[in-house]
Amino acid sequence: MTAIIEVKNLTYRYDEQDKVPALNNINLTIEAGQWVAIIGHNGSGKSTLAKALDGLIEPEAGSIKVAGIELTSQTVWEVRNHIGMVFQNPDNQFVGADVEGDVAFGMENRGIARPEMVKRVKAALKAVNMSAYAKHEPVRLSGGQKQRVAIAGVLALRPDIIIFDESTSMLDPEGRQDIIKLMKRLNEKEGFTVISITHDIDEASLAQRVIVLDDGEIIADQKPAALFTKGQELIDIGLDVPYPERLKHELAKQGITVPKKYLSEEEMVEWLWQLLSKN
Amino acid sequence: MAITFKELSYTYQANTPFEYQALTDINLTIPDNSYTAIIGHTGSGKSTLLQHLNGLLRPTSGSLEVNGQLITPQTKPKQLGDLRKEVGFVFQFPEAQLFEETVLKDIAFGPKNFGKSEAEALEIAKQKAKLVKLPEELWEKSPFELSGGQMRRVAIAGILAMAPKTLILDEPTAGLDPKGRLEMMEMFYKLHQAEGLDIILVTHNMNDVANYADNVVVLEGGQLLKTGKPAEIFASPEWLLAHHLGLPKTTAFAQELKQRGIKLPSLPLKEADLAKQLATMIGGIGNE
Repeated sequence: MTAIIEVKNLTYRYDEQDKVPALNNINLTIEAGQWVAIIGHNGSGKSTLAKALDGLIEPEAGSIKVAGIELTSQTVWEVRNHIGMVFQNPDNQFVGADVEGDVAFGMENRGIARPEMVKRVKAALKAVNMSAYAKHEPVRLSGGQKQRVAIAGVLALRPDIIIFDESTSMLDPEGRQDIIKLMKRLNEKEGFTVISITHDIDEASLAQRVIVLDDGEIIADQKPAALFTKGQELIDIGLDVPYPERLKHELAKQGITVPKKYLSEEEMVEWLWQLLSKN
Repeated sequence: MAITFKELSYTYQANTPFEYQALTDINLTIPDNSYTAIIGHTGSGKSTLLQHLNGLLRPTSGSLEVNGQLITPQTKPKQLGDLRKEVGFVFQFPEAQLFEETVLKDIAFGPKNFGKSEAEALEIAKQKAKLVKLPEELWEKSPFELSGGQMRRVAIAGILAMAPKTLILDEPTAGLDPKGRLEMMEMFYKLHQAEGLDIILVTHNMNDVANYADNVVVLEGGQLLKTGKPAEIFASPEWLLAHHLGLPKTTAFAQELKQRGIKLPSLPLKEADLAKQLATMIGGIGNE
């Protein structure tokens, strides 16, 4: 596996006077093709880290390498070619009069030739399953559809890494499931490196690796199954635990002995079924 | 504060080529002292419905009655002044509405505007700051120095300072982390229980509906689809899914159990209910 993101001793303060830096000596390597979730309470430094990776803020100390390129003021545009960002509110990201125009906007900005643009818009809309909406006005779409168009705009620029910054948090349940499925497909089938910054623990549980930030520091970096057994500790730092863990907690209160190891939803169903079928 | 809609319809940009009927023939009563959740996906008419409640919109046809005041297409905006005091509206990201130099001044702005003296308004501001659990050391700070969750509390205290009888909450926890979310939802519930405020909550989060609401209104395509208690609304998961609405996490998990052949005595909405039912079923089998 090759490292696509390498962060070394990264420190950043929004204000020189701040005693606690927003990012405090972060060391992090992300392999190409990984799906990594970053979780942490509001103000823990998640979005600051994403901004640093995309060269939107300049660190006080430390270094960042993206796809082998050292991030500097000279290389920032080259680095951004490798990273696509999808934000929280799709309504703030629309500029085009129709869906097609919107997807093409980022490419227009980079001076990509028209025939190539047309080809890429088509492919990107197909990838997010929105080809039928090419001529629609973005404002008339549902939240999930809008977010899919925003993702198409990112795909058209052919990045290697897609950063989803709370991209599902404003969607209705169906829209949220829709985007999570798309993230999964982009990672597994299309080979994108996916970084999802999220408060949604069910979304985080699908990642191969979960990084927990707290007050600008990485306090855990583990597989979801290992992390989620720390139930109460996660709740104490303002986070949530996946549903099976919450149910186990309630069952324990009722005097039922529950397994210590993390169970996914399917495993939880299976465990309950076996327990009950002994009856 | 009882609210009744009678055959209410609303059309945006009526008599133009852009005419769009957002609400059609709504008949609905929101009972006094209730915690009502309004659900429905984007474009279902939720926001249009709510904007009638404090007079931001008036019906195109039909009428509504809010706390004894009748609003018809003929009602003049001037006659709706009282309504704005009685119905407090917490929009999404209410912290965007903060503007004063200090937290207390910001909270005091509403009552001052409605004719209270400076001293009275500040006294009210202090009460409301306590009510939303803003620590005293923050009161003289600029609201813009606070965290997102705290800023939101300031904005909500500012709305409470106008002493509304009903609080309308439009996705009030969007963007907050899980702990901030829970604290905020518990705060609203306490305002409902202890202060007797009626709550109307617009949300996509079915867990919140199951945990807090006692009345649910389902809208689709500008029409009223169903009203009932949460247990009635969530009783048929198939119906909800067919209408592109989600289920509370516990109800969804109970569905998975059912598919695996585990029969529960009743459909649970909250994890504690489910745990109790399962514990009773496991009970007799020597859980060592």
